[in-house]
Amino acid sequence: MIRRIAFNLFAWTIVLAVAFPLFWMVLTSLKPQFELFRRPPTFLPETWTVEHYWTLLSSTKFLTYFKNSVILSTTTTLVVVAIATIGAYSLVRFRYRGRESLAFLVLFTYLLPSVVLIIPLYLMLVQLGLSNSILSLVIAYTTFALPYALWLLRSFMAGIPEDLESAALVDGASRLGAFRDVILPQLLPGIISTALFTFILSWNEYLYALVLVNSDSARPLTTGVMNMLVSSFNIEWSLLMAASVMMSVPLIIVFAFLQSYLTRGFGAGGVKG
Amino acid sequence: MAEVVFKDIVKSFGSFTAVHGLNLTIAEGEFVSLLGPSGCGKTTTLRMLAGLDFPTSGSISIGNRVVNDVAPGERDIAMVFQSYALYPHMTVYDNIAYPLKKRGVRKADRAPMVQKTADLLQLTELLRRKPRQLSGGQQQRVALGRALVRDPKVFLLDEPLSNLDAKLRGYMRVELVELHRRLGRTMVYVTHDQLEAMTMSDRIAVMEGGKLQQFAPPNEVYREPANRFVAGFIGTPAMNLIDGTLANEAGAWRFASPGITLTCPPLTDDAVSGPACLGVRPEDVLLGEGPIRGQVQVVEQTGHENIVVVKIADGIRLTGRAGADHVWRPGETIQCAVDVSKAHVFAAGPSGQRLNRPLTKDQPRLAKEGA
Repeated sequence: MIRRIAFNLFAWTIVLAVAFPLFWMVLTSLKPQFELFRRPPTFLPETWTVEHYWTLLSSTKFLTYFKNSVILSTTTTLVVVAIATIGAYSLVRFRYRGRESLAFLVLFTYLLPSVVLIIPLYLMLVQLGLSNSILSLVIAYTTFALPYALWLLRSFMAGIPEDLESAALVDGASRLGAFRDVILPQLLPGIISTALFTFILSWNEYLYALVLVNSDSARPLTTGVMNMLVSSFNIEWSLLMAASVMMSVPLIIVFAFLQSYLTRGFGAGGVKG
Repeated sequence: MAEVVFKDIVKSFGSFTAVHGLNLTIAEGEFVSLLGPSGCGKTTTLRMLAGLDFPTSGSISIGNRVVNDVAPGERDIAMVFQSYALYPHMTVYDNIAYPLKKRGVRKADRAPMVQKTADLLQLTELLRRKPRQLSGGQQQRVALGRALVRDPKVFLLDEPLSNLDAKLRGYMRVELVELHRRLGRTMVYVTHDQLEAMTMSDRIAVMEGGKLQQFAPPNEVYREPANRFVAGFIGTPAMNLIDGTLANEAGAWRFASPGITLTCPPLTDDAVSGPACLGVRPEDVLLGEGPIRGQVQVVEQTGHENIVVVKIADGIRLTGRAGADHVWRPGETIQCAVDVSKAHVFAAGPSGQRLNRPLTKDQPRLAKEGA
């Protein structure tokens, strides 16, 4: 009993420590500017206000950045998941020379720090005439999200019994038909985890966005907000906090929507032995 | 016509050869078991027939049509997998209807066909359930239903009973035989369980090391094993295999090993003097009297009979069957004999050929003999 209480206390301490900055972010974004620097600081705002949100939406480019981020993250996720699913299928189901080395080579690219890759990548994109566009970021993000996604999906794919696919083939399905009817539904939890991972990664990415894009029309939220609110002389704390809250909302929504799929429908029980 | 013919089939995985030059003809409507220990090539053979693996060389035909390059779905076969391979995200109904759907049967036509199959296998109550909500035996019946619904030319069954408990397995054996009799379709059944093969098959193809050892009806495989491997693999308790030497004495072949000397049954022309192996079924060992002297080592009681293991000499033991009312005690000295008329002689080596002539019905029973 005492052990349980101690354990709960411990767990809650960690949860609160992790969650406190988030609470503080929300509270700060709802305080008027003059209350921010008061000593001692107030915990709950004395006057509640949403003026920072309104300012962001009405008189800054926040919505443009937001739109860019949504397009960027969604496209990257779709591209990465599509390629990784097909790639993982190939790595798991087909036997060909160099299959294992290929898989390790892919992982190896993931081990290189982005800073090393960013200059050559930038030069390549400039030469392709793609610099300063959302597409350039989609390509850049794919290079680092794909290897991990491939490995993640590969392990999910390896967990799907080959007999299921064989059964579908004998039952008259084509390879593609078996993939669609049997493999994809089984892979769904894996695909969703991978999609979630890729989406969060591209939503929060900063370094590539900073180097590869410097026009406001293509900037995503991360660099856009920093560029807009953080200057050498001043940081707009209230607006920054409001922007941070609004940046977190899509992730929370996506997560809340998909996490039920993550645990649902794991293909247990179809195959015995 | 749904005759299945394997012609000179070789299957290699890299440097490993799983099947060596298999020749096998399965007649229309026949129930054939591919029987052998793990890794003997039986499942590979079945997968090649299904089109899931491709032979390295040789040809496979189903009903006079060479199917080497035909996709699994176009071979008009159905397969039951050891793991059942039910589609976990589909209901029992959808599982059974899937092969129909893939062959373009209209939705309205599917329903009565699925219903009929479900009735046959007593699955009607379960049609709306998902596979994970079913017991092992029920899953097995769904897998069978998925194969039956389409009335294919050939049924392939890959150890379908091995995941069931012993009682259910016995029940399903009878069901499958009954099903085969009713449908009259060609069935190819892979198993490592000799009891299943013996009880269900019209003919058994015994495989070992990727090679066909014998292809014959169950009785013949039991009574006339082609070689030492088949002799040792078929039968529980296993046949006594005793290494010794063969010598020709004035036209009669004599077999000798420590503790046993006897005149062999008629041998073929392949017999040569030298090392050989004597094979005697436990039921052909006569306990209680005879020239062979030994010591009872172990008595296994099965209820209706006792299995008695007798030590004849160092490293040489004879297993015999005795009625349940015979009480032998371990350590007791015992006399026994071998029914030579039913004994076999094999050439030396783990898969030495049988050297004695087939036992025919009218062959006179030879006298009991021993050392």
